[in-house]
Amino acid sequence: MSQSYNRGLVEDFGRWKEFSAGMWAWIFHKFTGWILIGYLFTHISVLSTSLGAAGNEAAIMSETDVYTTTLQGLESLFLIRLLEIGLLAVAVFHILNGLRLLMVDLGIGLEAQDKSFYASLILTGAITVASVPTFLTGVGL
Amino acid sequence: MAERYSSFTPGGTGWFFQRLTAAFLVVALAFHFFLLHFVNHAYEVTFLGTQARMENIGYLLTMILFLVTAAFHGVNGVYNALVNQGLKGTQKKVILAVLTLAGLALVAQGTYVALVMGGMI
Amino acid sequence: MSTQQAEPETQDAPDDPAMKGAESPAAEKQKGGDMVDERDESQAEFDGETVHIKVFRYDPEVEAKQEPRFDDFHVPFEKGMTVLDSVMYARDEFDSSLTFRHSCRQAVCGSDAFFVNGKQRLGCKTQISDLEQPIRIEPLPHQEVVKDLVVDMDHFYDQMHAVEPYFKSEDTPDASELEEQRQSRENREKVKMSTRCIWCASCMSSCNIAAGDNEYLGPAAINKAYKFAMDDREEEDIKEHRLRILEQEHGVWRCQTQFSCTEVCPKDIPLTEHIQELKREAVKKNLKFW
Repeated sequence: MSQSYNRGLVEDFGRWKEFSAGMWAWIFHKFTGWILIGYLFTHISVLSTSLGAAGNEAAIMSETDVYTTTLQGLESLFLIRLLEIGLLAVAVFHILNGLRLLMVDLGIGLEAQDKSFYASLILTGAITVASVPTFLTGVGL
Repeated sequence: MAERYSSFTPGGTGWFFQRLTAAFLVVALAFHFFLLHFVNHAYEVTFLGTQARMENIGYLLTMILFLVTAAFHGVNGVYNALVNQGLKGTQKKVILAVLTLAGLALVAQGTYVALVMGGMI
Repeated sequence: MSTQQAEPETQDAPDDPAMKGAESPAAEKQKGGDMVDERDESQAEFDGETVHIKVFRYDPEVEAKQEPRFDDFHVPFEKGMTVLDSVMYARDEFDSSLTFRHSCRQAVCGSDAFFVNGKQRLGCKTQISDLEQPIRIEPLPHQEVVKDLVVDMDHFYDQMHAVEPYFKSEDTPDASELEEQRQSRENREKVKMSTRCIWCASCMSSCNIAAGDNEYLGPAAINKAYKFAMDDREEEDIKEHRLRILEQEHGVWRCQTQFSCTEVCPKDIPLTEHIQELKREAVKKNLKFW
């Protein structure tokens, strides 16, 4: 729908206060989805260091192979730990809201679609907060 | 405008597979996170430990299936998001090709890595 | 449909050349002054509650209105007053060039869907007392504005017609064997809500996906098709043909279940539910390859 002039679109973020629950769910689901697929590519790249590590039995046994040192080097960074917590939050939300969407696709509980969105938000927050200690063990600030 | 809709291009298969993979990924992703952050800790990962897990053929196959479904779900999701934004014509074809290639490359590399980890290659 | 709906528009804004001539910037200004005067008058007269409405104004043919703006009106409040009542009062008493469509005033014709306080609503069905003031009244988003609150509905009607929204038969039956085609009570119940559509385009305007993808059929058209596809009397071949229209790339699959359409529908049609059911129908049909 071409517009002869710009009167602002409804989904402009300037109007975010007017967004409905379902619209937020869609925005968050898409946003977390982009992060997850982006992460999958980086994840495989990092794990590819195992190609260089394989075969060098001595280094593997003494845990000084390139795979082990790369992963542990990354894990020793506080920033990486923070990002991991973020990733957990993103994944948990995508899973919970994904379950919500599967229910919607099956035609179950459509009247409660907004409540189930809020529930997945709250659950995501709770699970993330509860996981913080686990994700921060053994890292120096 | 009716003629624009006359060609038969079912989008239903993609939609359906997106849901099928979603159902699997919900379980697989939760399992993956749980295993590598709560049972084993990410900061304790060593090649030895990874190798021990990957030598279990069931685990190896699960991880490869996890990779394939995740790659499909993610790439198809990105493609759909772009189509929803009004992507069309040549641009759409090019993006589809690029995304397909990226997805295939991801699966190929990931599978190779998993096989090396498990000592199969 | 479109001619029927276009009629009130011309009624609302008579294309009187003398009136058009008067719409020079100076005259407009003076008019604005008059408006204020009248407003004061009415306020004094009624000595009671007034409603503050901000109405979107735009007219590509009038120089002073080429730049979109909001005009403020203070309309005397009456119990039971609707948004449509308030703009009609503003037009009749303050500014006769204020343009909008309306016809039946009882939520049946579907001409007066506006974007009121950030939501698509029927002007005649929305109580002023339910809204926060000032009430912002805009034309439906995602449709081109013709003038003030009047939007171009052609694209919407095109999409509605694209699903071939009529009950039809593959062959014309023999006239001697013509029989009443009855619908079962249960089947009527099933399609009941879908028949309530008044073509107001609120759903289409609220849909995020329809905004980005011009080819998307949109909730109203899909709902229309649902009514026929779910009708027991529709022949198998025709239903198949209808599902094929719906399962195009820009058909049901574009729906992202944001529920925006369901939330704005003034006739409470469960649009998302209907679209979802059609998705499942299409998948089931395609899976039956044995």
